[in-house]
Amino acid sequence: MAAEKKDDKKPVKLPRTAKGKKPIYFDSTTDKLLSMVLTLMGELSVMRDRLDTVERLAEKKGVFKIGDVENYELSEEVNKIRTERRAAYIARVLKSVQDELDALQQQGDGMNVDLAP
Amino acid sequence: MIPQNMHTMFAKPNHDEASRQDFVNDFRVHLAAKVFPGAFPAYFNRVLPSFIKAQGREPKDRHEVRKVMTKDSYYQLWSAMQRNSQEMIWDSVIDSVERQLPDLLEKAKDLNGKGSLTLNPNVIVPKYHDAADIHLQPGAYHTDSITDDLAAGAVYDRGTYIYSMGGLGPANDGLGRILREFFRKQFPDKKVERALDMGCTIGGSVTYWSTKETGTEFHAIDVGAPCLRYGHARAKAVGGNVNFSQQNAEKTNFPDASFDIVTSHILLHETSVQAIQSIFNECYRLLKPGGVMMHLDLPQVFGQNPLEGFLWEWEIYNNNEHFYGQLRELDLAEVAKKAGFDPAKFKIHQVASSWEDGQTPYSNENFTFPVYVAVK
Repeated sequence: MAAEKKDDKKPVKLPRTAKGKKPIYFDSTTDKLLSMVLTLMGELSVMRDRLDTVERLAEKKGVFKIGDVENYELSEEVNKIRTERRAAYIARVLKSVQDELDALQQQGDGMNVDLAP
Repeated sequence: MIPQNMHTMFAKPNHDEASRQDFVNDFRVHLAAKVFPGAFPAYFNRVLPSFIKAQGREPKDRHEVRKVMTKDSYYQLWSAMQRNSQEMIWDSVIDSVERQLPDLLEKAKDLNGKGSLTLNPNVIVPKYHDAADIHLQPGAYHTDSITDDLAAGAVYDRGTYIYSMGGLGPANDGLGRILREFFRKQFPDKKVERALDMGCTIGGSVTYWSTKETGTEFHAIDVGAPCLRYGHARAKAVGGNVNFSQQNAEKTNFPDASFDIVTSHILLHETSVQAIQSIFNECYRLLKPGGVMMHLDLPQVFGQNPLEGFLWEWEIYNNNEHFYGQLRELDLAEVAKKAGFDPAKFKIHQVASSWEDGQTPYSNENFTFPVYVAVK
């Protein structure tokens, strides 16, 4: 509660964590995962709103129409770029699953997982 | 989200901050309207039958319901998401306030208006307030991060609006409106020269009162300095007229018999059993003969079935409302009697809330606020 002396050059940092015991709902790790998912859910919503603002401003200023986004047709080249980017993105997000799969496959004692369909 | 009224002291969010706040609000509306109601079928379809199978009877009280419901996967997930949403409120609001704090401090200095502010750095923040940050607001209502800080008040003003999902109205003054309407219905001709509001935080309620009862001298007290500084500036910004001072409601420096009414808006449940007795004692001392004490607060356990009782206590265990547990079963008629009030002149009224359907996180029914009233 002791207030620091006012110093205009130094930005004030407000407290960010509430004092008090935090309940455990599932277990410590699952609780953190849920917080991460909900935070990402929020940030994705913020991003979508921002994109919406950009589209509406673009239309208002005559750059392009919002309908142009809906009617955008993929060229073969752009489709390829996006497909590669999407695959890398999925692999990055699911890396923890890949790590477990790699470990399973490296055990080599008859427990190797045959992934062939 | 229904827009909140802007005023000079309002920490206006930028594009992404506003979007983040909108998300938290809409997420909470979804939790309240679409997720929370599942607690009832979860209880009646599986938790209760399994309890009956094991015990041969229904749970006898909310504590027994708590033991089994907190192990139910549906309830756990709702509860964990509800807790997260509460943390997300503050996180989304603190960004705006932190960014604009230097400006807000300047604006507070430059504002002209009515009312006054008297701070007392010797006031000790009581343990029931300091033990944990109420409602998970980081730093609660009393922490100063800079000289003349008012950030806690600015955070509270926006945070409580999102907390109630706009249910307290665009001016965030719904509790003041409810209590004043109640007062004027019950005591239409009561002349009020001086009024005191206890535990006012940013004074949203008392400021509303002051714009309606213009012939009254309003005083408002709280232990939290940053909320009082903000409250004083906010009152000036919205045309209120309130004299704020930093005092503990258990023992104030006002003379005996100096007020016609003493009010509080959701204060009691943040204090202890001993403190509630002291507050009632103080109300009795401060009131003139014929004066009225009115505390608007959260429901007690009486009349609630075990499931309802359990659900109402979510905030105690998950939202740092630990002391609400003490109010739940307290015999307030006895407290009032001990304070000196005539038992015949103590009454608990149930007053309809103005919260909209589907926007209450606690119950699937429209709930009422109890008002604890005593006339000296």
